[in-house]
Amino acid sequence: MSVITRAEVCVVACAEVWRGDGEILASPIGLVPSIAARLARATFAPDLLLSDGEAYLTQGTWAIGGTPPVIEGWIPFRAVFDLLYTGRRHVMMGPSQIDRYGNANISAIGDFARPTRALLGVRGAPGNTVNHPTSYWVPRHGHRSFVAAVDMVSGVGYDRAAANPAAGRYHEIRRVVSNLGVFDFGTADHRMRLVSVHPGVTVDEIVAATGFELTVPADVPQTRLPTDAELALIREVIDPASVRAREVEG
Amino acid sequence: MALPEAVAALVRDGDTVALEGFTHLIPVAAGHEIIRQGRRDLTLVRMTPDLVYDQLIGAGCARKLVFSWGGNPGVGSLHRFRDAVERQWPLPLELEEHSHAGMANRYVAGASGLPFAVLRGYHGTDLSSHTVVRPIECPFTGEVLTAVPALNPDVTVIHAQRADRRGNVQLWGITGVQKEAVLAARRSLVTVEEVVDTLDPRPGAVVLPSWVVTAVAAVPGGARPSYAQGYYDRDNDAYRAWDAVSRDRAAFTAWLEAL
Repeated sequence: MSVITRAEVCVVACAEVWRGDGEILASPIGLVPSIAARLARATFAPDLLLSDGEAYLTQGTWAIGGTPPVIEGWIPFRAVFDLLYTGRRHVMMGPSQIDRYGNANISAIGDFARPTRALLGVRGAPGNTVNHPTSYWVPRHGHRSFVAAVDMVSGVGYDRAAANPAAGRYHEIRRVVSNLGVFDFGTADHRMRLVSVHPGVTVDEIVAATGFELTVPADVPQTRLPTDAELALIREVIDPASVRAREVEG
Repeated sequence: MALPEAVAALVRDGDTVALEGFTHLIPVAAGHEIIRQGRRDLTLVRMTPDLVYDQLIGAGCARKLVFSWGGNPGVGSLHRFRDAVERQWPLPLELEEHSHAGMANRYVAGASGLPFAVLRGYHGTDLSSHTVVRPIECPFTGEVLTAVPALNPDVTVIHAQRADRRGNVQLWGITGVQKEAVLAARRSLVTVEEVVDTLDPRPGAVVLPSWVVTAVAAVPGGARPSYAQGYYDRDNDAYRAWDAVSRDRAAFTAWLEAL
């Protein structure tokens, strides 16, 4: 296999968030999470339910931009709520801002009443984060994305969930994957912790690119590399056009 | 009924108007007719506003937007929407933002004739302080949930594949909340690809009986550039091309004059 790219490492790190989830709906939002969810199901998480992103549940593994080989079910918009409300879903969303407790903003930058940038809206975040596991993918790790406080809490983080038992009941932010590393909230007060650094990235770089104090264990391993089988799936089956390279450099 | 007549009869200045559709069957032609007729001061409602709402907002038809996602699907932002929110051009746009589930449940409550719906969600977000929701305690378990107020548009507009001559409507393929949005509305307008003698059954189709529909207008191609399953495909190039028009006030104004 040729040199492994950062995008490929990120795909595998994103795929890992669904490991052990069993027969639930995996909802990847965006490109790298979509490649990742297909990879996870094709390898270590075969029971995941995947949709075509619109209204079909699908079998098999198919290319980005392509057509799923087998349609196995019909899951129009309203039916997603049936799974969501009962916790049988794990979504990976792409926040514009995230803070140390995993509060995420996808709605507006600046003052909500007069935003400097109106984003796409809170969408499913308020319900997703309090009904089932949520993970996040951030393709550009920096002070604009990893912030001390997000401008508009759209997805609930651990401090908000703790302060509000109604929000905490089914709340779980599983992991955050960025173009630099992998993070979780496995600390006593659920502050974000560095889990692994991607190959070629240093802990210092990540600390410097993060707008809040990150919990950094004494030993931080490297994010695992894709296996040959995973690389073959990514390169030949799921993303042969290498769209992933446009989202993650290096 | 012809589309201009139907819009003139059913959509009034100051109304709360929902043009619903989800990826598929977006009532674009009806939205353009609302622009042509120069409606003003509308409260526009939709779960997922896309190009036609960008156009209505840019044309100055809207005072307020009630929504949970606003974008050009697969392309990016709606720049007329952003220009209105960020720079008040051509008019300020008030926002009432909800979650997807919040919007769906609000329509369901409206369709059911109930004053509110209940869901788990909104707790812990900043949305609670920016929008219209209230905490409510479950009388059976004591769990604190979120109440969202019913949505009852003055008029709901949708696009469907077919209607019969008596005004019964049939739509299939990817559907969103069209059924609930029509049932919740005081008046409704359905544009259709064709009017047929008989609606033969289709698996999974939504059927709206004529007595919940105020007017039907035959508008072939009325969902373009979105698609109507069984009739035509989505025009992805048109969505991409809108980005350049939407980004530029002059280009948009030229588009508007040509409409």
